[in-house]
Order: sequence, then C-alpha cells, then structure tokens
Amino acid sequence: MTREFFTHWRFLVRQTFSKRRRQSELDEELLFHVEQSIAAKIAAGMMATEARRQALIEFGGVERAREQCHEQRPGWWWGTVAQDARYALRGFRRNPTFTLTVIATLALGIGATTAVFSVVDRILFCSLPYAHDDRIVSLGLVQSLETQEFVLGGFFFDWRDNQRPFEAIASQGTMLHACDLVEANPAQLNCIHAQAGFLPLLGISPVLGRNFLPEEDQPNGPRVALISYGLWQDHFNRDPGILNRLIDVDGGPVRVIGVLPKGFELPTLQAPDVMLPLALNEGLERKALPGTPMRAFARLRPGVSIAQAKAEMEPLFLHTQEWIPQEIRRDFHLSIRSLRDRETQDVQLTAWILLGAVIALLLIACANVAGLMMARGETRERDLAVRSALGASRGRLIRQTLTESALLSLAGAAAGLMLAEGLLRVFLEIAPTGIPFLGRAGLDLRIASFTVLLSLVCGTIFGLLPALQTPRVVALVTRATQNRRRAALRRGLVVGQIAIGMVLLTGAALLLRSFENMERQNLGIETQGVLTARIAVPGFRYDTAQKKMNFYLQVETALRRLPGIRTVSFSDSVPPGGWNNDERIEGFAPEGRRPSPCSGSGCIVVVRRVTPDYFRALNIPIVRGRGFAEQDRSTSENLVVLSRLITTRLFPGENPVGKSIQKGQNGIWLKVVGVADNVKNHGLTEQDEPEVYYLRRNAAEDWGAPAPIMIIDAVLPTKTVAPWVRSQIAQIDPTVPVEMETLAQTVNKLADRPRFESALLGFFAVCGLLMAVIGLYGLISFMAAARTQEIGVRMALGATRQDILRLITGEGIRLIVLGGVLGLGAALAAAQFLKSLLYNVGAHDPYVYLAVALLLGVVAQTATLIPARRAAGVQPMEALRHE
Amino acid sequence: MPPSTDLLQGTLDLLILQTLAPGPMHGWGVAQRIQQVSKEVLQIGQGSLYPALHRLEYKGWIQADWGSSENNRRAKYYALTATGRKQLETELESWERLSAAIALVLGRSAEATA
Repeated sequence: MTREFFTHWRFLVRQTFSKRRRQSELDEELLFHVEQSIAAKIAAGMMATEARRQALIEFGGVERAREQCHEQRPGWWWGTVAQDARYALRGFRRNPTFTLTVIATLALGIGATTAVFSVVDRILFCSLPYAHDDRIVSLGLVQSLETQEFVLGGFFFDWRDNQRPFEAIASQGTMLHACDLVEANPAQLNCIHAQAGFLPLLGISPVLGRNFLPEEDQPNGPRVALISYGLWQDHFNRDPGILNRLIDVDGGPVRVIGVLPKGFELPTLQAPDVMLPLALNEGLERKALPGTPMRAFARLRPGVSIAQAKAEMEPLFLHTQEWIPQEIRRDFHLSIRSLRDRETQDVQLTAWILLGAVIALLLIACANVAGLMMARGETRERDLAVRSALGASRGRLIRQTLTESALLSLAGAAAGLMLAEGLLRVFLEIAPTGIPFLGRAGLDLRIASFTVLLSLVCGTIFGLLPALQTPRVVALVTRATQNRRRAALRRGLVVGQIAIGMVLLTGAALLLRSFENMERQNLGIETQGVLTARIAVPGFRYDTAQKKMNFYLQVETALRRLPGIRTVSFSDSVPPGGWNNDERIEGFAPEGRRPSPCSGSGCIVVVRRVTPDYFRALNIPIVRGRGFAEQDRSTSENLVVLSRLITTRLFPGENPVGKSIQKGQNGIWLKVVGVADNVKNHGLTEQDEPEVYYLRRNAAEDWGAPAPIMIIDAVLPTKTVAPWVRSQIAQIDPTVPVEMETLAQTVNKLADRPRFESALLGFFAVCGLLMAVIGLYGLISFMAAARTQEIGVRMALGATRQDILRLITGEGIRLIVLGGVLGLGAALAAAQFLKSLLYNVGAHDPYVYLAVALLLGVVAQTATLIPARRAAGVQPMEALRHE
Repeated sequence: MPPSTDLLQGTLDLLILQTLAPGPMHGWGVAQRIQQVSKEVLQIGQGSLYPALHRLEYKGWIQADWGSSENNRRAKYYALTATGRKQLETELESWERLSAAIALVLGRSAEATA
C-alpha cells in the first residue's frame, strides 16, 4: 500500500515536471513498434511501401493510443481539473452579469435558508437537553384561566401512585420566585422548589455533589439546596469547597449539596439560581383540597403514545373531577403534551411559516439558477459541438461543465454563508422576546451543507443537460438553436417561480395588512407621555403589606411634587396586554340575581386594583356615573368601576350606578360608582374582555401581592421626567431596583412578534419576486435573441415594431398569467395556515389578492418589456444577416 | 477493445507478466512472443498492449529502461520487479484456481483441458 502510494506520488511529481519528455518517450516507443512491424513485414517478403501501409493500418489511431497510455497514469485527471477551472474562470470574466446573478441568487437562497433554519431548528426539530426528551411530557389540568398544565397536591399523589403509562412522574413549583441570598455580598436570586425525583426524571445529574435525597424532600427534613453553575461560577468563584457549605437563603441557613450542570433550564424554560426541595407533607396534601399547585412532568414508558397515556389517565382524572365544584367542573380538562409542545407551542406556527417561506425562496433560487445554467448551456452548444468534433470525449465535456457549476456553486455557497451569518444577527436583533432558544441560535452547519449541496445539485443538473446530449451537427452551423424540450422546461421553471413568488407575496401582504390594522386600532387608552415604573421592593425588608403601602404612598407623595407630572397612580397591571389578574364572570352576582353559569370563552374578567388617577392617566372616559375620587381612598366600602362590556353582561339594559354586586357566594359586596369605556385589555389581537376596576384604598389589604405598577402621566417629555422619578425614589430607599418603560414602548413590544413575522416574510417575498423577475427577464431575452432572424423576416414582410413588441411580450404575458393563476390557487390554499396570525383581515381578503396580482403583473410585465423593446428595435437587414 | 471485462484485462496483465518472466523485453517483443507462444491465437493490438504496459509500470510490477534493440535501435525494455514477480505468482495461482473451477462447471476434469 505504502509502496503503491509512493509510486503514484513519484509519477505525479514526474508528470508535472517532465510532461514533454514523457510525451516524446511515448512517441518513440510507439514509433519503434511500428518500425519493428514494418521490418517484420518486409522480412516476410512484403514491398516496403505496402509493408508500411499495412503496419500503420494494423496499428490504428496513434492519438488514441497516446491518450490511453496517458490515462493509465494515476491521478492523470487532476491536470484536466486545473485546466477546466482556468477555462471556466475565463468564461466567467467574459460574462460577469451571468456570473454575478448566479452567485447572488445562490447566496440569497443558501443564506436565507440557513439563517432561518438555524433559528427554527431548536424550536421544531432539535432534541431538548434532557435524556429521553421525546418521552417526557407535561401533564395536569388546564382551564380557561390557566392553559399550561398544572397539578394540585390534592390529587397529584393519587395520580402518582395509581398511574400506569409513565415510568416516572415528578413536579416542580409553579414558578420561579425571588429569594435573597443574605451574606456579606447579598444578591437577589431566582429560586425554584422541586421534588427529589425531578432531576432524575429529566436525566440531569449535578456536575458537583448530588441530587436531593428522599428524606430531604420531607416537611421537616434537612434544609439543603442545589445551586446553578452560574451562581457557583460568579458568586462563589467556582470554589470546589462549596459542597456542604451553609448559605443563607431568605434568612434561613441551607446546606449546598450540589451544583447543577452549566446552562441547566427547567422544562418551563426558566433558569433557576437555587433549587430547593419541594418538601410537601404528603399526608396533609392528600386531605387538603385543592392543595399546593405544581407543574408536573412525567416520562412515558417506551412504546406508550401520548394518546394512550391520556386514555389511561382518564379514570384518575374523572375521580379528580369529583371534588371540583359542580359549576366550574366543565371548565377543567386533562392535558398531556409533549415537552416540545409545552415549550414551543405558541411559536411553532410562526416557525413553520418561516420555514415554508424560506423553502419557497430556496425553490425559486434553485429554479433561477437552473434556468440561467440552461440558458448558458444552450448558448454554448456550438462551443461544445466544436470541441467534440476536435476529439474531446463526452466525459471530458461533462467534466468541464461540472467544474464550471462546482466553481459557481462554491462561490455562491461562500457568499451565502456570509449572508447567513449576517441575517442571523439581524434576526436576533429584531426578534421579539419570548421566542424560546433564540438567544443561543448559531449557524447550523448541517443545514448549511445541505443547502450548499442542494444548490450544487440545482446548478449541476441543469448545467449538464446540454453536455449530456451528443452535440448535434446543426449546432456547428447555426448560432443559437432552440431545443424544444429544454425551452419548455425553462418556461416551466419560470412559471413555477412566478407561482411561488405569488404565494410568498400574498403571505407577506396579508401579514402586513394585519400588522397595519393592529397598529392603527384604537386601544381605548392614551399611551403618549405615559411612563410606567415597577419598583421591586425586597420582600425580607418590606415584609408586611403595611410597610409596602407606606413605601408606595411615600413615593406617590414625593412624585406629585415634581414639575411636569400631571398624575401619579397605581395599578397592578396595565392594558393592553401582558399579565392581568383574571377572574371568572360567575364570581360576580348583581344584587337580587344568581350568578349566571358561563362556559366556553368570554367567561374571563380582567380585574385591576387602581388608585383614582388611573382613569385620568390613561385617558379612559367615564361614560356613566363617576370615577373614583381622592376622598374615596379612605373609605371602608368596596367601590368598583365597571367597563361598558361587563355592564351589558351583568346589567343588561339597566343603569348599574349605585347598584351592588356580590363577589362569590356569601362574599363581600361591591358598590358600582361608574362605568368606564372599554379598553383593549387582552393583547392587541384578541377580543376585549369585560373588566372590573377595584378601588385601591389606603388600606394595607389593598397593597399586598401582586406588586403594584406605578403609572406616571407626564406633561414634559418622559426622557426628562424619568431621571427625576429615579432620584426621588432613591431618596426614599436607594436600594430598591426600579424598572421604567413608556407605555408606548410596552405596546410596541406587544407588536414585536407580528412585526418580526411580517418583516421577515416581506423580505423573503421581495427577494422571491426579484429572483422570479430575473428568471423571466433572462428567458424572454434569450428567446428574443434566438428569434432575431425570424423577426428580421417578419419585418421584411411588413410587420411593424408594434407587431414585434406584441409578439415578444405575448410570450411573456402567457407565462405571467399561467404562473399567476397557479400561484393564486396555491396562495389561497396556503393562506389557511396564516389564519390564526391574521388580525382584522380575512385569509382570502380580495383587496390583498388584487394588490398582489397587480404588483406581480406590473413588475413582471416590465421585465418582459425591456427585451421586447430591444427585439423590436433591431434593423431588419441586420436581423436577416444574423446567424 | 470492446469486451474489456475484468477477466480479460486481468488475463492480459498475467500474459505480459508471464512473458517478461524470463527476462527484459520491449513492447513489440512482448506482443510477438504472446502471438508465437499462443500459436497465433492471441493477437495483442498496440491499443491494449501499451496502456497495459504503462498500467503495470505505474503499479510498480514492471520497470522500464531504455536500451538498444537487436538492430541497434533505442527501445524501451520492460523487466519484472520483485513485486511483479510476486504478483505473477499469485496471479498464476488464482488463474489456475479459476480455470479449474470453470472446467468443473463445464463438466470436464482439469486434466482434460490441460
């Protein structure tokens, strides 16, 4: 083997250095053969001239023999590769428009696909960072207020002990909560509680130390904690002695028993700093209904599907249902979802749509490259015919074409990867928050190689078509001949491009229209000059509601003294989106009436506890009665303002002002003082929900959880006011963190997702349209050039320029109409998938379709008009002489 | 040479190696010797001969040197290398195995054809 290798190597070296010598040696050897043959024939008694003739005939083609000997040489074809590459490069330099178009098209196709795939891969395909991630499910109850599965201590243990479809089942606390690390160097951390079986369920083991022991997951067990890798690294300087150290969390000592792996995330996609045992009292929980709320996860037994698991869990669920109060029982459902769905369900549609769009773009790019390569191949048919006539073998011609396509594809791929990197950065820049995994998206090399390969295939196959057929003799005499089959294929490609372009454009136009509707809608509130501030008071110092209230009221008084501020008010949330305190409408019973049962959607009531200035700050009109007044803040009554929507539900056709509402059975009485106009309160795209405003009185009970949000209506620019607000708060307590945002920013953020979707789809659509038009332009120019002579004849026979123009554009119009109609059909079908993303615009909105068709028509028509005008402008005499 | 199956090509290599076994020889000589020995049955055209010689040379089984012919012409002489000799042995062996096998399949004993 080694020996052979060295022999090859020696020949390769010799071949490069002494090519000429070898050639002459071979000639000498062959000549010797012929001479010997002649001599033998003469010796056998043949005439000298006859002997020579016979010998040469016997010998056959010298050139072929030479080449065959040459081809025995190992690696002989390397020389031809370099030759082909040089030839190809010369060709590219001579035709830069073609070269650049192909490279740009490839780059766009490869770049966009790679970038988008890198983003959606984690959402749709990539495995999750847990062992057996495909078998891990989230399970529990769902209902209209909570659409993510949850379990309660009251039935969780019953489920755990009696279930059959799962290998393991364990739960964590419902959410991360703020906790304080109290020591010389204090820090506010995120803590989570989890059962001892939780990490093993996910297949996660600590990088240092160990997981919770069962006895530590008991109500009075040893107090232990696992800390995150990040906390270990940043706060404890990767001290290996961290194990068994006592740290003080929320004022109590806990022993660190382990360090979680780097980058560990809960299945709820949150990264905790500290994990503590859930330590539930099982006996108590079983009896306590409903018990502690938790998020439960489980690992399916191998071979058990989610549907099977759900069927098997049904009896347990029915048992659980029995203790849910009759009136609301029908609202609770059993839900089991794969972990992927739990983590990414609300972005899966967006991800699929982006993927679809980018694949459409890739298809257009491929069709475009194919069309361009075919056009080039056809114009080179004569060249190939000449080379073939001069003795180039078919293999040699194919190799040459291959080299050319490979060079183009490689250049396109290099440019494409650079573009992908850039596009990915742009995506990350403009992407809305809440798309999981996005922060860690990097260029995916697998998909990069796939797209490069795909474009290589597109370019190569169509570039090869002409070389694969034996060049026709006719190619030697005529300039550009039309091969009917290939021309039909090229027309088909262009029609396909137009159709796909139409689909992309329609999708983008629909999203844009919907986005515009969203931006232009009336929110029912004034966002200009409104500043919101969240002040996170540390729980261990402000440990009573009274202390919290005092702090907030102090802040209010201080800010009211500032110039440039019209009102300062508190609420627990702000419209139009984000977190709301929700309650169900059955909980509100107007006096003298029983609460009406409600099922399905529309049963949710948004509840806000606000100070009197809230309505003025957001400019929400009071349509009946009055708003809250400053003096109401010291009342002991429970005053409420209703929204118009809930008034029509609770008091149809009546004036609710002065009436009372009972909250729940035997609950407190609420007194209605007024009716406020409706506001957009359930996100930008959803239906408005009925709303009840409670008065936030100066009483400790109104200032507990959740933390209030301060709303400042500024007369001066918010930029000027914000630092004043900060410094005022700092004067009262310099340690509390303050998060400020203008309401306009908050609203803008809510539109991030649709903005992202429409911007991206719009970009792809424009690229797709551009490429389709380039393809169309190329085809029409080529056809017009091929028909130059025909045009000459027609003109000589009396055709006017108008006739020629009509002739050439007619061809283009046929393609455009065909592609447009096909695209329209496909777009109508594809729009179904967009339906749930659209706001106030139908998936089959006729105006959108009309506008898209018009745009496509005009742009495409322009692309055919240019070559058509050129064709009509030729001089008949020249055209006739044209070969 | 249309039917250039592996069997035929392998056979040509074997014939050349065998012909060169007694001593160095030039291309013309190889062709003549094969023709003679096979009683004019096997005629090796230059179109197969020279590519084969070059192939064997690249494989390192034979080695070429310029020398002068019987009539004092410069000619390229091919000689077996040590590897070539070993290769000849293995090829002869496998050829014998193969021909015996073929003979068996055709229903004749190896002796009958030998």
